[in-house]
Amino acid sequence: MRPRSADTIAAIATAPGRGGVGVVRVSGDLAESICLGVAGAVPSPRRASFRSFGDAEGRTIDAGLVLFFPPPGSYTGEPVVEFQGHGSPQALAALLDRCIELGARIARPGEFTERAFLNDRLDLAQAEAVADLIDAESRTAARAAIRSLSGEFSNAIRDLVAELESLRIMVEAAIDFPEEDIDVMADYQIGARVQDLMERLDGIFTRARLGQRLREGATVVLLGEPNVGKSSLLNRLAGEDLAIVTDVPGTTRDPIRGHITLDGVPFHLVDTAGLRDSADPVEREGIARSRAQASKADLAVLVLDARENADAGFARLAANASLPERCIAVRNKIDLIGESASSVERAGVTTVSVSAQTGEGLSLLREALLKAVDWEAGGGEGAFTARSRHLEALRRCREHLQSALSLIDVQTDLVAEELRYAMDAAGEITGRKTADDLLGAIFASFCIGK
Amino acid sequence: MDYHARLLKRGCIVLFPKRFEVIVIGGGHAGTEAALASARMGRTTLLLTHSIETLGQMSCNPSIGGIGKGHLVKEIDALGGAMAIATDEAGIQFRILNGSKGPAVRATRAQADRVLYRRAIRHRLENQPNLFLFQQAADDLLVEGDRVAGVVTQSGIRFEAEAIVLTAGTFLSGVIHVGLSNHAAGRAGDPPSVALSHRLRELNLPVGRLKTGTPPRIDGRSIDFSTMTEQPGDEPAPVFSFMGRREMHPAQLPCWITHTNERTHDIIRGGLDRSPMFTGVIEGIGPRYCPSIEDKIHRFADKTSHQIFLEPEGLTTHEFYPNGISTSLPFDVQLALVQSIRGLEHAHLTRPGYAIEYDYFDPRALRTSLETRAFRGLFFAGQINGTTGYEEAGAQGLLAGINAARLVRGEAACVPGRDEAYLGVLVDDLVTRGVTEPYRMFTSRAEHRLSLREDNADLRLTETGRALGLVDDTRWARFEAKQEAIARERERLRSTWCNPRVLDVSRTVALFGAPVEKDGTLEEFLRRPEVSYRTLMEWAAPGSGLDDEEAADQVEVQIKYQGYIERQLTEIARQEQHADLVLPEELDYRSVRGLSAEVCQKLSAQRPETLAQAGRISGVTPAALSLLRVHVKRLGAGRVTAATEPSREAADGDAAQAAG
Repeated sequence: MRPRSADTIAAIATAPGRGGVGVVRVSGDLAESICLGVAGAVPSPRRASFRSFGDAEGRTIDAGLVLFFPPPGSYTGEPVVEFQGHGSPQALAALLDRCIELGARIARPGEFTERAFLNDRLDLAQAEAVADLIDAESRTAARAAIRSLSGEFSNAIRDLVAELESLRIMVEAAIDFPEEDIDVMADYQIGARVQDLMERLDGIFTRARLGQRLREGATVVLLGEPNVGKSSLLNRLAGEDLAIVTDVPGTTRDPIRGHITLDGVPFHLVDTAGLRDSADPVEREGIARSRAQASKADLAVLVLDARENADAGFARLAANASLPERCIAVRNKIDLIGESASSVERAGVTTVSVSAQTGEGLSLLREALLKAVDWEAGGGEGAFTARSRHLEALRRCREHLQSALSLIDVQTDLVAEELRYAMDAAGEITGRKTADDLLGAIFASFCIGK
Repeated sequence: MDYHARLLKRGCIVLFPKRFEVIVIGGGHAGTEAALASARMGRTTLLLTHSIETLGQMSCNPSIGGIGKGHLVKEIDALGGAMAIATDEAGIQFRILNGSKGPAVRATRAQADRVLYRRAIRHRLENQPNLFLFQQAADDLLVEGDRVAGVVTQSGIRFEAEAIVLTAGTFLSGVIHVGLSNHAAGRAGDPPSVALSHRLRELNLPVGRLKTGTPPRIDGRSIDFSTMTEQPGDEPAPVFSFMGRREMHPAQLPCWITHTNERTHDIIRGGLDRSPMFTGVIEGIGPRYCPSIEDKIHRFADKTSHQIFLEPEGLTTHEFYPNGISTSLPFDVQLALVQSIRGLEHAHLTRPGYAIEYDYFDPRALRTSLETRAFRGLFFAGQINGTTGYEEAGAQGLLAGINAARLVRGEAACVPGRDEAYLGVLVDDLVTRGVTEPYRMFTSRAEHRLSLREDNADLRLTETGRALGLVDDTRWARFEAKQEAIARERERLRSTWCNPRVLDVSRTVALFGAPVEKDGTLEEFLRRPEVSYRTLMEWAAPGSGLDDEEAADQVEVQIKYQGYIERQLTEIARQEQHADLVLPEELDYRSVRGLSAEVCQKLSAQRPETLAQAGRISGVTPAALSLLRVHVKRLGAGRVTAATEPSREAADGDAAQAAG
């Protein structure tokens, strides 16, 4: 399929500012003639060739490598030319101007990838992975993005959709050909296969959720009564970690955010106003905001004073705010009672004893944080870069499979409906249209007809 | 000078003195529904057929309905058509298929007595005001510029009309094959329409070739039923028409089931060298869902046995139709294969099975109203459009008849949407995707299947039928009464509070499996999967339920399906935002930015009427649709509802532009 592009686009493909190398990329039908105009020749496909880049009067703008990628195997699926010059902003700007002179227009942000998607070179999940790769803040996140871009995630989804399709074929056959001498629903163990599919889906979901964590991180709210050491704990966590820390100061009573990266996973730490009964209207507003933060977070860290009874403190905080599903209890200030650091898990809640003052126990806390967001050491290796949108689609897919399972011996028409919804949900991830010729597949798989 | 003008000059043609508004050519299932609909709508209508005796002939198996097809029959009925009520008068076995698989896919099927069915149809045709019958083969279509003007018969009689519905079935250049011998025929015993076929080819309409087949028939006196499984009809027998009654049914007969065996398959394999299909004599494409027995054995070689249903052809004949062994093998092989089957060892064949090849017209050249794009006033309906089945034909005939009747009065076309009727799915599939094999309806073709049920066909379409002038006062009054009963009962269930603690505990446990403490409305209790309308009434409010079975079923289905139906309605509403985006007929797809060459070429060739339709063309991706939507919105194109076509004036303008 030879795509027809209306116009040719060009852009500086490297980051703004001075650098060792600067790249101008051109895509569209005019790419070859622009290449000829700039470099005086079109090199053979995919072979780097050293050329000088000239302006309209033949004066040299820069010199460097030229690469030509013919369609349909290029990134966008169109003819693509890349000029790799020196990273001088002036030279790059002149080079881009020259391309515009020769008929290209400046590309909108993301337009190269958009064209790749429109020309079927990438599916939706892959196109999103391009953006994720560029934005990746850690090496683990970048590796996850590459895995998605190379289609590992898309392939997993495609397999899922393929299995859903074959299930639908069988259920549709059971509906439309009831007089055949096969009992499709029972003979082909539809129920067991739906169950298997749900397990596979769970596996993909876990990997995608890890990827979403890598991409979007987890929001952690620090809750506690005044003066238990929330802020120093935040500073200690942020300070000890060598990743970028960007405190965004608001008014003193607003939640304060810090960003840290643990094992590649970004955590957004939110310090809150201490929870207590207060007569001060401004402080009361701050406390209300703390509560609101707590309910939106992925994880709450309940900070307690090691000198008091942990259970009682925990219960008081729990009663005072609506907590997210996952919580860690931190007993701070162990240096004051001469206790050493520890991490104990009891009834699903991990209690870490630390000293923000001395830094003791901080590594235990970091481990607990990672564990609380289901991160295992090196867990990034299996992750797919995924967005909330993907997780949401997978979640819906699973719900429909669950409903289908519960209806199998009850009502076949609703089983078919639920399977269709499940397939649509999974298909949303890659954005590819799924096969609509179920009947064709039925005729190919069953001996049908009187 | 064309063919017809030459004849006219030679004085070979006489003009029929009466002028008609609508002429229907063909008296099969499409033609009869088209003629009845047009006449009911008050248009002076002529039904032109090569034989009045065979009006309403069932040329293949003697049955009506089935999965997807029963749905169509009930829709034809709701729009005042004849098929359902004729089946009630002629049916000799009635069954509900998929009874336990859910209301949406439940379907009625009947075996019909061929003689009684023909009689029922002919009776209606002969007694329909505004409808005239005439027996003569149609040879030529009169065309003036881009509009149809009339028809000339075999012996040179000219009829004029503004609208013509052509329902030529398998008669266009039909060729029958039995083994390697073949002859021209319309169906067994009838001549083909060769002249008309040539004439249509001259009009440059896109034409293709399809194939279908039929099994040999067997004399029931030579069948040993004692070794077969009896398949009786349902008790009580279901009824097809909204106006039908069980008492209309004639005497009932069972069907019988037997099986092919290894020896049968060996005999068939031994005859393949003389099969017109396997030797390449037949070029037309046959239906995959209705394969010949030789095809089944070839493609599914590991299956050692196939089911055969022996269906009685009627009350006054011994002939049986062995459903499942359609074949075009030579007669000696047919006889041997039949006699190898248990119970048929001494079978006498009364007619050989055969395959028939015939011309069809690519339905992508039609509007959704079934009018040809090329000629104003010329409608095609039935098998000529590449479909198979009486029900598919009847449904198209009805729609073409309605729209021919509307056209001659200058009214806009009326076509149900895919979310309103299987009829809508049928025409949309045909004109959007075309056919690659004879098209048959299946429920899996309908994405809004849960809303398009047999049980609510009347609720979906009677009002439309009434507005079109197809529904008479008696049916309308009965329909209104049913609708009211349903509304009243739903209100009662919604507002009646029920306290299970005061009810008999043993009955509660029997119904729910455990005592129930929490009270709720009757509607809430009916939502529970283990509760049916009848059991609910017995448990909570004895003696208070609806007597009308159909209304009671409707109440139950509506409540139990509510969640799904609401979901589908949301889906429909969301799609309609796109569905009603009309694509201008003159749209230059090459000017749409970013469209791939392949998609551009497909869209240019098919010229879909709406964006939704464009999306159903194979190979048109969601990305292409977004580009198209943006492009058309930029052009500032208007919107009309999905059910009506762009206005006639607009279409004229487009035609002029296309010509210019």
